Amino acid sequence: MSVRTAVVLAAGEGTRLRPMTRNRPKPMLPAANRPILEYVFDALIDAGISRIVAVVGYKRDRVKDYFGPTYRDVPISYVTQAKQLGSGHALLQARSVVDGPVLVVNGDRLIDGATVASVVDHFEEDQDTPALAVIERADAQRYGAVDLRDGDLVSIVEKPDSNQYRLINGGIYAFPESIFGAIDETPRSDGELALTDTIARLIERGRVRAIMTDGMWVDATYPWDLLAVAREVLARGRVVEDEQADGVWVDESATVHEDATLQGPVVVGPDCEVGPNAVVGSNTALGDNVTVGANATIRNSVLDVDARVDAGSTIIDAVVGQDTTLGANTTIPGGPADVQVGTDVYEDQRLGAVLADRVRARGNVSLSPGTLVGPKATLHSGVHAYGHVGEGVEVVR
Amino acid sequence: MCGIIGCAGRGEDTLDTLVHGLSKLEYRGYDSAGVALADESLDVRKCAGEIEDLREHLSGMTVEGTVGMGHTRWSTHGPPTDENAHPHQDCTGNVAVVHNGIIENYQSLRDELVAAGHTFHSDTDTEVVPHLVEDALNDGLGPEAAFRQAVEQLAGSYAVALTVAGTESVFVARNDSPLVLGLGEDATFFASDVPAFRDFTDQVVYLDDGEYARISPEGWEVSDVDGTVVEKAVDTVSWDPEETGKSGYDHYMLKEIHEQPRALRQCLRGRVDELSASVDIGDLGDLSPTGVQFVACGTSYHAAFYAAQLFQSAGIPAQAFLASEYATSPPPIGDALVVGVTQSGETADTLSALREARHRGARTLAVTNVVGSTAARECDHALYIRAGPEIGVAASKTFSSQLGALNLLALATTRSDEAREIIAALRDLPGQVQELIDDSDAKEVAEHYQDADSYFFIGRGHMHPVALEGALKMKEITYKHAEGFAAGELKHGTLALVTEDTPVFATTVGDGEQATKTVGNVKEVEARDAPVVAVTDGQSDIERYADHVLTIPETHPRAAAVLANVQLQLAAYHTANFLGRSIDKPRNLAKSVTVE
Repeated sequence: MSVRTAVVLAAGEGTRLRPMTRNRPKPMLPAANRPILEYVFDALIDAGISRIVAVVGYKRDRVKDYFGPTYRDVPISYVTQAKQLGSGHALLQARSVVDGPVLVVNGDRLIDGATVASVVDHFEEDQDTPALAVIERADAQRYGAVDLRDGDLVSIVEKPDSNQYRLINGGIYAFPESIFGAIDETPRSDGELALTDTIARLIERGRVRAIMTDGMWVDATYPWDLLAVAREVLARGRVVEDEQADGVWVDESATVHEDATLQGPVVVGPDCEVGPNAVVGSNTALGDNVTVGANATIRNSVLDVDARVDAGSTIIDAVVGQDTTLGANTTIPGGPADVQVGTDVYEDQRLGAVLADRVRARGNVSLSPGTLVGPKATLHSGVHAYGHVGEGVEVVR
Repeated sequence: MCGIIGCAGRGEDTLDTLVHGLSKLEYRGYDSAGVALADESLDVRKCAGEIEDLREHLSGMTVEGTVGMGHTRWSTHGPPTDENAHPHQDCTGNVAVVHNGIIENYQSLRDELVAAGHTFHSDTDTEVVPHLVEDALNDGLGPEAAFRQAVEQLAGSYAVALTVAGTESVFVARNDSPLVLGLGEDATFFASDVPAFRDFTDQVVYLDDGEYARISPEGWEVSDVDGTVVEKAVDTVSWDPEETGKSGYDHYMLKEIHEQPRALRQCLRGRVDELSASVDIGDLGDLSPTGVQFVACGTSYHAAFYAAQLFQSAGIPAQAFLASEYATSPPPIGDALVVGVTQSGETADTLSALREARHRGARTLAVTNVVGSTAARECDHALYIRAGPEIGVAASKTFSSQLGALNLLALATTRSDEAREIIAALRDLPGQVQELIDDSDAKEVAEHYQDADSYFFIGRGHMHPVALEGALKMKEITYKHAEGFAAGELKHGTLALVTEDTPVFATTVGDGEQATKTVGNVKEVEARDAPVVAVTDGQSDIERYADHVLTIPETHPRAAAVLANVQLQLAAYHTANFLGRSIDKPRNLAKSVTVE
């Protein structure tokens, strides 16, 4: 029997991506101008999957509202993981709606269809043995690192202390139906059931095949990573809009003034409006219904759905959330900065600013490099913002 | 969206199997339905209405056959009538076809077929297929080859199926519309979606675009465009398919409330340009009416009432009429443009009013959700609201899309100094509706007041139609008494009914005269101990007199009407849910009322 059903784990918030995850889970954050999860679904369908089970939890309505009951004619069933108690626990929630062998993927990382197909093909040669995708990464110690011998997994370690690892778990698994029993038998650690704990037990008791792949694998850990994700998506041309010129993709329903300049790579989504003498790009993604006013400059930035940038603004190296409005002459000069998240400081990140959803900047506002602005914050006219502005906070001069 | 099902090998149970399958596909639309069963002869039965109506229609009839297929329809080409229901037949009555999708080149095919002497009985795009098959059979081809020759001529999307008298097989083809085979022990099935045959088998084969299949009591075979047999993987399904269409929501209505940001984007797409402050709705922009009369019923009447206000504020005399009244006692029309607002385009009262207007020489315009509906075809002009199919009987997203589309109509046909601000506000709406849905407290409000005796809704200006619609929604799905008023009218009578068990939903936006006066009316009800739920953008001081607040984002008052209504939709939905009502199919109500 072939693997036609995929379970997509899309229940987690992605807390390190706060404040971008205030209203949606990490899989719904933008990779250029489409949700990360859309790339995952595309990869599955491209690989021949004909039924998707999405395990949803945190802010699950946003997933359901976006995709609805089908995507590209493939039915999507939604099952709820009410509390996020680990990836193994998430997969267990799908048990009652899955029969036979199953493909399991993380919903919060960009993957491509060839990688998925490769795991499925190898698994189908021997359907009793679990298989997972393995990817080479220089920063392996940030992820689930793995060691191989003769094409089989010999160890799997979450975020190892040592930097000797070069291979990571790609988060794409093919399992026989017995996986559910194996998760059941796995002891919880700190109340959570991690799928990797179960895989470690499977390695002890039998075989787990490692499928080496070199396809697209892109992850965002922190909000500013969304800029690098967009760069990679654009570099690979993974956009659905029409390509007007080399690296310039514009949806047919967008309006770009004849005196505006688009510098590729750049993508302009449906219903966008770009005013006269505006310069958008390079390495910039505009989501649906974004408005860019006259004489505005936007470079190396991601503007999410319904964002507005009014006339004369300069936005560089910025992540701008949904329905956020930046009034006239807002200045985000960009460049390297030390960014503070909680008690940690991330030095020398190239980040103009992160503005979460529904921020209002009234006009003539400027933001120091590395500023994080929480959702629904208001920056009144003439404010200079820096550091961290909390959710709903009003900043006045 | 439509649903199709077919089976072979069910013997005497063929009819029951098909009707049962159709009932599982009702989420895909249910304005008409039908079946075709074949043995040596072909029996076709169909009628407008839900699957229940088809059951009734079939009771007492003899319908026999060992293979068959069925269809439940959501109208795209032509209204939901007996004639437009599927299956469709050829001139001989030996061929029957069901179809889900849209055949883009049907007009040219139909013209050719009519010229060749074929007689058509419906307005559908589908009916060309049986006639094409008929021609191919007459050319001496067998049923399968005839089916292929017919399908090859189609452009567009289809999941299409054919039965022919005297043939123990059903033939299907797929392009851009879903189609799946079900493999039982003694029978084979096909359907738009697995639920249709899930009670009989969990073994399925998903067809791909460009593939054909033949099912018979003996088995099944899939082939590609060239006729080469394709080896298909057989999958096992196990999920509960009932929930698929609802995306995991408890009710279609809640799903459709949540779909409003997307519906509004569709409504506005390609029609507004904020930079040049212009609206493009094609030829309709040239109408420049000197007066407008709206005719509509129910929720659509509230949208029409709001639209009349828009034209009045542009200096154009405009009124909204209840279509059922207009049809029998119409006012003087003069040069007015008569606009029918009807979600389905099939509302009998509205069609009747529009016919009366046309009879008197008026120009008519249909504002509707359904392309090719009777209203759209009979009127001089049509404006589509593009909300997508709405399954819940109580209108939700289609009301929001009606308000959006009617704003476009007003902007395109009148002059406004505020055009840019209004267009900006319309473009902001999808994101603001999303914000409201993300943060709404309507569920808490509903829980608090679920046992109330009555609900009153008040508002001024654009909030007056919102109050009326809020009350209608509450009535429709909670079965409780609710009334909406112009805020100033409350004290002229209804105040006598206000008690501590009758919450009053008061909607205000801004801090102008309308808001100030509405706050005055709120004080009147508060003095009589009625609980007050304020729906507000927070600019007036209404919150001081309110027991609960449902917040909407600040915007232009026109767009605020859409936002305030969404809060009231959620309040009604959650109240009905706490009360355990049949939200998607309230008692006594039908989605599209096709009788006067």
